Amino acid sequence: MRVDLGIRARITAPVRPGGSPASVVAALSARKAIRSGVLWGYIFGIAIASSQISYTRIYKTPTQRDALAATYGTNKAMSALFGPAPQLQTVGGFTVFKISMTLMILGAVWGLLTSTRLLRGEEDSGRWDLLLTGQATRRGATAQAIAGLGAGVVVLWVVTAIITVLSGLTSSVKIPASSSLYFALAMVATSVIFLAIGAVTSQLAATRRQAASFGAAFLGVSYALRLVADAGVGLHGLTWASPLGWVEELQPLTSSQPLALLPIVAFTAVLVAVAVHLAGARDVGESIVHDRAHSVAHLGLLSGPTGLAIRLMRATVIGWWVAIAVSALLYGVIAKSAGATISGSLEEMFSKLGATGTGADAVLGLCFLIEAFLIAFVAAGQVTSARAEESGGRVDHFLTRPLSRPSWLGGRLLVALAVLVLSGVGAGIFAWLGAATQHTGLSFTTLLEAGVNLVPPAIVVLGIGVLAFGIRPRWTSIIVYGVLGWSLLLVIVGGIGAINHWVLDTSVFHHMASAPAVHPNWEANGIMTAVGLATALVGGLAFRRRDLQGE
Amino acid sequence: MPNAAIRTEGLTKRYGEVVALDHLDLEVAQGEVVGYLGPNGAGKTTTIRLLLGLSQPTEGRGAIFGLDCHRQPVETHRRVAFVAGEANLWPSLTGAETLALLGRVHGHFDEVYRDELIDQFDLDPTKKVRAYSKGNHQKVILIAALMVRPDLLVLDEPTSGLDPLMEQAFRHCIGEARERGQTVFLSSHIMSEVEALCDRVGILRDGRLIEMGTLAEMRHLSALSVEATLDGPVPDLSAVPGVSAVEADGKVLRCQVRGSIDPLLKALAATGVTELLSREPSLEELFLAQYGADGHAG
Ligand SMILES: Nc1ncnc2c1ncn2[C@@H]1O[C@H](COP(=O)(O)OP(=O)(O)OP(=O)(O)O)[C@@H](O)[C@H]1O
Ligand SMILES: [Mg+2]
Repeated sequence: MRVDLGIRARITAPVRPGGSPASVVAALSARKAIRSGVLWGYIFGIAIASSQISYTRIYKTPTQRDALAATYGTNKAMSALFGPAPQLQTVGGFTVFKISMTLMILGAVWGLLTSTRLLRGEEDSGRWDLLLTGQATRRGATAQAIAGLGAGVVVLWVVTAIITVLSGLTSSVKIPASSSLYFALAMVATSVIFLAIGAVTSQLAATRRQAASFGAAFLGVSYALRLVADAGVGLHGLTWASPLGWVEELQPLTSSQPLALLPIVAFTAVLVAVAVHLAGARDVGESIVHDRAHSVAHLGLLSGPTGLAIRLMRATVIGWWVAIAVSALLYGVIAKSAGATISGSLEEMFSKLGATGTGADAVLGLCFLIEAFLIAFVAAGQVTSARAEESGGRVDHFLTRPLSRPSWLGGRLLVALAVLVLSGVGAGIFAWLGAATQHTGLSFTTLLEAGVNLVPPAIVVLGIGVLAFGIRPRWTSIIVYGVLGWSLLLVIVGGIGAINHWVLDTSVFHHMASAPAVHPNWEANGIMTAVGLATALVGGLAFRRRDLQGE
Repeated sequence: MPNAAIRTEGLTKRYGEVVALDHLDLEVAQGEVVGYLGPNGAGKTTTIRLLLGLSQPTEGRGAIFGLDCHRQPVETHRRVAFVAGEANLWPSLTGAETLALLGRVHGHFDEVYRDELIDQFDLDPTKKVRAYSKGNHQKVILIAALMVRPDLLVLDEPTSGLDPLMEQAFRHCIGEARERGQTVFLSSHIMSEVEALCDRVGILRDGRLIEMGTLAEMRHLSALSVEATLDGPVPDLSAVPGVSAVEADGKVLRCQVRGSIDPLLKALAATGVTELLSREPSLEELFLAQYGADGHAG
């Protein structure tokens, strides 16, 4: 009898995995968000500092700076791509021009992925069921998790701000600390907004992936609205129609306009309130947007794991392809007019950014770096989704049936390679279509080759990912995104010119020629492809011999 | 001599310091239904994952129908079907799609029997896995395993989450499998299930197989429960051989008897007995006797 009572008493005791039950969820999500915020804060800070330092090194004289401003400050195609560039004579204006759009988008992606992971992802994994049997209500738990995310974004701002202020204090840069703080704030503003957007889509969607893709669609529309607003076609008012536009209107380091914080704060507050409200209006694990519970069987692709992988990844991959195609098309369209204004010192700047030559091909060489990054991102996603099949225990269904590990992994890798090659080809074709509308004069084969040229770095990422998957499966995602982040950072920072080439060599993008600005280096591409495939092979062999491992 | 359905020799798995499975020697003959018991963390799932080639042994080996579990997983798996305690299915597929996929990966399956099973387990195959309850997830993987009529069914707590009616359907299917000569290896915490289905039972503790035999053999080794109502107060039984766990409650006596019951009857004869009940231990009592009495850690 006594034993019985003891057990019952234990069951009814509140669940308290550390800390008081009132703040468990906040603490858990804060811990994870802060960890990520520190890492990305460094990346943001270093990217900002390196732009500032590279500017002061490359553009030393007022003449050089005036030339830069004369050509770029008025180039509407460039402003459509990277945002307006009003004060290129100053280091502040250049910093905004060079880095702010990249950081705004990275920040938005960070916010979206972090909040959907910590809200929807945690919920899908069933951890919330445990917490919610404690004292937290659904709404309370969501509010707590959002508070935790808030802590993460504050840390992102603090780390970014510290590095930005330090860089601003150097004698050559000379930006007052208050301006640096405001700039850092502007750079994390999209993170704040998209954390809140992720919080809402996490309530609406049925899965984490769906929540992230709703948010990504919102980001895409927002980017397109801003692009049109800055393209100089008389629709400048549209900047006020999208969150990215509001952030742009903050105009840090040039003509600060803190009034633009108003819509940002208001929109975020409304989103948070909506998220918390919706959280209480549904059950754990359920969605607001109803996904049909019943469906007719579609057996077409379901003949094995490879077909299943295609079916499960279809929507995501198509989403990426749309992003790649649309951006390549836009780049093609603007290449001619943007390229027409490149001359003199700009050539040098372009070469520092990774492109050589002049004209439309130089602009596209630069733009294709962005495409290369997108495709490498797709490669990383292919590896992590294979790992997710394992950590979720779903691969057991195949590997306890007459199917070998090499054929399971090999099938997925073939799909991944096909996806990557098609992504590269698509980037080339759509860039050509865009360029052709403007009679840019770049041939189809040149741009097709430039598109295919984007694939080898992605294959290296894929190979490193498979190696990690084979040897340290639990680290797969950290390693593969770490390699990507590091490589991107080196591309951004590479402009300083002070970095040792051994360090630059560790970036997967460093070995890629900036086609179509220059000819693709097929030898380097062959080596990268071979290295990628070889590392994948080693990873595959290791996978054959190891234990399957859950999370 | 036909190959054993399962044979392990010194099968060992260590996770760092933890010895999850310690030199397991196990043999399951073809056509046998064997229960595999043990407290949480005893190493049941570890054994099964080694047998299926999902983990690699630290030492020793295992064979299924004479085929090495680690060197020939594909050949082995043609004759085996596995049901885990957690289904882990793809949320966006429907039940029917999942069954079709898993059936095709296996190579061949009996569609008529699949439809029968869907009926028996009362599963709605048009629903998406996301919309299924835990019990329904379990039904899907049970049907997927049964429908291929494998020579060996390896089940790791297969009925977790099933309601009593479905538990019944499960037992019925395992009964049928036995009649068809299929071999069943069933790890379970539900004693009545093991008792009802299994020819032999193995008990695992701390990674070691400490008992293996038929239920009758195991009962023989263990105590009989006796409950007697006497004419007078319970006498002192401490000197009676084989008697233990004596509980006296006025005229009612409860105790355990190991070996012959004769000495106890003689000792009680003087007082006089109105009523005497003796009962063989259930599997649950056997199990608890193994673990409960000397504390959980043993
Ligand atoms: N991947 C792993 N890493 C480390 N230790 C593990 C791992 N898998 C199992 N163990 C340990 O091995 C031992 C046996 O675990 P196993 O899962 O086989 O037990 P079980 O008998 O199936 O228990 P249960 O009845 O709870 O399912 C446990 O002590 C467990 O903690
Ligand atoms: Mg187990």
